[in-house]
Amino acid sequence: MRINKDMKMAEVIHLNHHLLPVLNRFDIHLGFGERSVETVCLDNKVNVDFFLEIVNTFHDASYFPVRHLQSFKASMLIEYLQKTHAYYLEFKIPEIGKYIHQITHDENMQSTHKKLLNDFFDNYQQELTTHINKEEQRVYPYVIKLENTLNNVNASLEELKALKKYSIHEYEEDHDDVEAKLFDLKNIIIKYLPPSQNNRLLHVILHDIFELERDLNNHGHIEDLILVPIVENMEKLLSERLNKLSYNA
Amino acid sequence: MRNRLCILLIEPSFLIREGIKTLLSNLGHPYRMEEIDAPVNDLEKLINKIHPSLVILNPMLTPKLITLPRDPENNFDPYYLGLIVNSTSAQVQSKFDSLLSVDAEKHELLKNMEKVLQQIGTTQNETESNTLSERELGILKLVALGNTNNEIAERLFISTHTVMTHRKNITRKLGIKTVSGLTVYAILNQHIKMEQIQGTE
Ligand SMILES: [Fe+2]
Ligand SMILES: [Fe+2]
Repeated sequence: MRINKDMKMAEVIHLNHHLLPVLNRFDIHLGFGERSVETVCLDNKVNVDFFLEIVNTFHDASYFPVRHLQSFKASMLIEYLQKTHAYYLEFKIPEIGKYIHQITHDENMQSTHKKLLNDFFDNYQQELTTHINKEEQRVYPYVIKLENTLNNVNASLEELKALKKYSIHEYEEDHDDVEAKLFDLKNIIIKYLPPSQNNRLLHVILHDIFELERDLNNHGHIEDLILVPIVENMEKLLSERLNKLSYNA
Repeated sequence: MRNRLCILLIEPSFLIREGIKTLLSNLGHPYRMEEIDAPVNDLEKLINKIHPSLVILNPMLTPKLITLPRDPENNFDPYYLGLIVNSTSAQVQSKFDSLLSVDAEKHELLKNMEKVLQQIGTTQNETESNTLSERELGILKLVALGNTNNEIAERLFISTHTVMTHRKNITRKLGIKTVSGLTVYAILNQHIKMEQIQGTE
């Protein structure tokens, strides 16, 4: 079922509680009363159309309105993506880390297994952090700068030329799948760790991993299928502007 | 992975077609489907074009059909599943490999559909096919110890391409994609020892 602007926000959460972290990224807090999605968005100064597209892609993985999402501003998309990064690094990863740490205090578990689990997760955390840092330090600033410069009708030839040093294709090419290790961790826990007394804690960890994996999947889709085409389009405009300027000069 | 099943569905009712798809996804079988909602005059030609292994057919849409086309010698032998209602004649019913009654209860429909899929052979014994072969086990150990595909190829006197094929099969069988994941697996199953990998990362 598609989520629309006239539904009550409370209903939306009843429909799919996995959307809760997404609301957080828009700084939308609980206590909706009878307010509709549209009203809640207006009250929180959130663009309703953008909100709807994001929650719908999250709610139904087969709903990916690539064309439509590409009509939004890159900066809006990036703000959302950055909030998502923060959710991973500041909340979700430390939470899973904490549970894994707790497990390693279990006396019944072999010390080799504890170390394996810990090291594997540490590795993953590093991998994800590196991936995100690269996007936040290199890619996103470039996109914002590109958008701002293109919006400035008086941008100088030098300013425009400077943007040519990077291209989103570099990103597109080495943007790797950051879920692979999580996928492995799931099977290690489900299939290969010997049965332990710690079932409950392992269940909680698994739940968290499934949720994070789903979230990362959606995030990666937005980056590859929405952000990249938007930027490609802007790069085309940039080349056109440059051609015109050099022709006039 | 299971083979993707190719299904030809011939049924005028949208609701029933959707119902069939729900049934299939309830059973968790990946499939590709061609849907036809109008009468079919030349079923043989249609099947020859699509090559389905399962044809789900409402007999009302092929009124002139006396026999269902089959030709096992030429690799042309789809499984025919008839979508029937109470009033469908016994003579028509007997042409099909099996039947699905549109009025049946959910559990019965699921049971029958599962039986059909088993007969076509899309289900396979997962435990058996998921055991690593000797060769794969050897390669798994080398991967877990940090060897690259090229190094493994040289050591075992096989091509890098072959190593890659083995690795794909290992990943499929174990459900583990990354090198560090394979290392953990190998240690947990005592194929290698923890001390052996120290310092290789
Ligand atoms: Fe990202
Ligand atoms: Fe990314």
